[in-house]
Amino acid sequence: MLKARNSLGVVFFPAFDWAISPTHPERQERLLYTQDQLREEGLFDVAGIREYKPDLARVPDVDLAHFTFPDVEHVVTNSHLVSAGGAMRAARLVMEREAERAFALVRPPGHHAMSVVHGTRGFCTINIEAVMVEYLRERYGVRRIAIVDTDCHHGDGTQDIYWHDPDVLFISMHQDGRTIYPGTGFPYELGGPTAMGATCNIPLLPGTGDQGFLHMLDHVVMPLLERFKPEIVINSAGQDNHFSDPITNMAFSAQGYAELTRRLGAQIAVLEGGYSIQGALPYVNLGICLAMAGVDTSNVREPDFDPERVKQEKRITEYTESLADQLLEYFTAPPALPKHGRVEGEWFVRDKEIHYDTDSIFERQLEKVRMCGECGGTVVIESRAGSDPVCLAVRIPVGACPECVKKGHEVFELGQRSRNYRRAMLVDRPGKSVKRVLI
Amino acid sequence: MLLGIDVGGTHTDAVLVGAEGLLAWAKAKTNRTDLLSSIREVLGRIVPEAGAGRISRLNLSTTLSTNAIVEGLTEPVGVFVVSGPGIDPAAYSIGEHYRVIPGCTDHRGRITSHLDLAAAREHAGACRRAGVSVYACVGKFSPRNTDFEETLKELVHPQADFVTLGHEFSGQLGFGRRVHTAAFNAAVWRVFNRFADAVQRCAVSLGMSARVNILKADGGTMPLSMSRMFPVESILSGPAASVMGIMAVCDIQEDSVILDIGGTTTDIALFADGAPLTSPEGAVISGRPTLVRALKTRSIGIGGDSAISLVDGQVRVGPRRLGPAMCEGGQTPTLTDALNVLGAADLGDTAASRRGLNELAAKHNTDGPTLAQDAALAAVTSIRAAVIDLTRSVNDRPVYTIYELLEGKRVTPKRVYVMGGPARAMSGLLAEAFPEEVFVPESYAVANAIGAALSRPTLSAELFADTQRGRMLIPGLDVEESVNGSYKLEQAEADAARHLRGYLEHLRIPDPDALVETVEAQSFNMVEDDMLVGRSIRVKCQIRPGVLPGYRKAVGCRC
Repeated sequence: MLKARNSLGVVFFPAFDWAISPTHPERQERLLYTQDQLREEGLFDVAGIREYKPDLARVPDVDLAHFTFPDVEHVVTNSHLVSAGGAMRAARLVMEREAERAFALVRPPGHHAMSVVHGTRGFCTINIEAVMVEYLRERYGVRRIAIVDTDCHHGDGTQDIYWHDPDVLFISMHQDGRTIYPGTGFPYELGGPTAMGATCNIPLLPGTGDQGFLHMLDHVVMPLLERFKPEIVINSAGQDNHFSDPITNMAFSAQGYAELTRRLGAQIAVLEGGYSIQGALPYVNLGICLAMAGVDTSNVREPDFDPERVKQEKRITEYTESLADQLLEYFTAPPALPKHGRVEGEWFVRDKEIHYDTDSIFERQLEKVRMCGECGGTVVIESRAGSDPVCLAVRIPVGACPECVKKGHEVFELGQRSRNYRRAMLVDRPGKSVKRVLI
Repeated sequence: MLLGIDVGGTHTDAVLVGAEGLLAWAKAKTNRTDLLSSIREVLGRIVPEAGAGRISRLNLSTTLSTNAIVEGLTEPVGVFVVSGPGIDPAAYSIGEHYRVIPGCTDHRGRITSHLDLAAAREHAGACRRAGVSVYACVGKFSPRNTDFEETLKELVHPQADFVTLGHEFSGQLGFGRRVHTAAFNAAVWRVFNRFADAVQRCAVSLGMSARVNILKADGGTMPLSMSRMFPVESILSGPAASVMGIMAVCDIQEDSVILDIGGTTTDIALFADGAPLTSPEGAVISGRPTLVRALKTRSIGIGGDSAISLVDGQVRVGPRRLGPAMCEGGQTPTLTDALNVLGAADLGDTAASRRGLNELAAKHNTDGPTLAQDAALAAVTSIRAAVIDLTRSVNDRPVYTIYELLEGKRVTPKRVYVMGGPARAMSGLLAEAFPEEVFVPESYAVANAIGAALSRPTLSAELFADTQRGRMLIPGLDVEESVNGSYKLEQAEADAARHLRGYLEHLRIPDPDALVETVEAQSFNMVEDDMLVGRSIRVKCQIRPGVLPGYRKAVGCRC
């Protein structure tokens, strides 16, 4: 019988009773064929691979990752709490040594959900990786964490949440933002002034295949991880780089995904996008699970796999190689300040416009971070969704310096008295408190 | 009158049950090299008493197939496996005539690569030259499309005494399990059929005209004629017989725990809503998982013959079994000896028990009665821990809808039923350890054979319909029909139940009281390019294990 080299817990939750809408890519059918394939292959009969059910995330878990307006109950449904709870279960499996590796094979996904949440964008409402990362920090005291996002779409939500966090390295490999949703993820997006270089974006040309992905992994991602020395590596395992995906333009295969997973060696993986539900997901998920468990994957491939058809063009190979060389240098010696934004006294300020495509919400933000030079810095956000009243969000980060703690409370108090805001929310991580007020 | 026989590893038990109650019973030592002689012995004692003509049914639980597989006393099987890409099928290799034939069927049952007939013929030739005459043909996703298996059967049939196909067992997915199930089935086919012939001859020679049924691991029966085609389904039926016995003598309605305390092990089973829980995947035999439906049981190494030992001041019971208890002439003190010392039991030479406990105690600066107390406590504590663990694993089983996750049924046992040799002696200790009420049914000594006697047929069917492809299949029942685009879940549920009942009639075991229940019913809209193109429908229905209601009152006792 087969035996896993690394024990693996798979938190499988297909949410067979939940969809955004009947024909939406995020519908009941999405993980049906994956479940068929995993069962038929006997994945859970492999010694050392076990299936688990998700935990249920609670409002306080969501509060550590997001400012939700008007509040969590209005924006988030049980499906999101189960999905985030699935990621938390994966983290618990690994931290409590029930399994060496864990894969949260859950839906709905989360990596487009940003720090402030007014609704759903890019099929995502809450960021399930971020809820998990905060759970890892709060419950298990993990400090340095790396997230490698291999979804075809830029993980703009995760990037936004950890933009000012020097302890979370966020690396995203994705189809070039000039050609696909959400239109971001360029190399110059390096993080805020207190965390420059802790955000790394690797845009890939449409048509990039196994060769290009693995080249970027070996020459950029792995060296970055080597330098950062995270305590734990998380893979946002989107599967829409697949050659058969209906909404993207890449040429990645199940073999490529399995090899990427093997080389990356993440302790925890979380499913993100991937909408070729018949032609890709069954095989890619099998490949990822087996690779995480250290089981041979050489016979895993799509029934219609034709290496010639998905072969990467020469110009893409050349572009990828030259970009890889430049990127590593750029990421390891980033400029002092971000490309966009301005210094206002002790604050670094930027204006943001965020479009919620799924829920048709347009949000404007003024975001400030305190450049104290000691910690990640207290973050203050003024957010206005559509014509709703303005909301105030204040985050005093984990490990904040005393000045930033003081400043955070001051801004929150002043904000309540200013009559400028309808709602205000304060997350004080060192003080372990969350406050919401309706003014 | 109904006759039940349970051929166990140690004893062969038989009971005769009539509408008036338990009429006769017999117990004999099992002759492991000749099971039939044990059956003949108990039949010889019971049948003359009852009168052969009055016995209408003989239900038999036998370890024959289990022993043959575990001890490797089976014949070589030619195994044809069509895998396609995925986990390397070498992982399921079984026997010396195992061959992977190129070809591929996908998860929807579409053939994505043709069967390599030349390779199949070559393997068939090699098997023939090696003198192989039983075969198993198994395809990945064969419950979704049986073509490859049928083609292989045609090819190998002329040279075969018996061919078994993977999809005949179940519509449940699990390729490796399917390979193991089919290969084991072919491997025990001949030895089981010889045994079946002998049982029938034996019954006839005693003047019996009873219908003969064979017990299965899920607590149900199948007619002897069916067991001749599916002998592997008779594995591991012993523990199921015991559970059905408790169900027969006690009217179990609430969530309950069943403890069957034997010589070497304690088997734990759970009841929810008045029925025993079945394992969702299937039985494991000889380390290989199969698709054979089985009750969900857990076995721990604590029984009457479990040796008592002291490790770092901690008293342990089991999992080693060192011969019989000292009261029965053994060399090492066991749990039974401890129960003797405590006065809970009065078995054999109790002086030997006291001597054994005292000697072991003296080596560790304690005294016999204290050691006996500690040992008994260690045993019930371990049993309780295992019960909690099993209950938790049942309640933690994965679910796939938000509704089930938030609202799903949880098993919360209210009662504990204890059976087996040391049951009576341990009941007091168990009652102290368990917060639930503890019961020892009166006729526990032959409950296993009563369970065998009163068990009813069980059957299950998995329907799979794909309206885009226009196909509906129920692999275990050999049903394959065309359906049109308007085929819906309600029709599928009705079809599954109808075919299940039809199959019972085909087997000539119609059971008007049988409750056909739908345990899973799902319909998924299949969408391609934003268009609804069809539905993928999955229905699972079953006839649950149960005991004949008419006789239940007759054998019922205070529980």
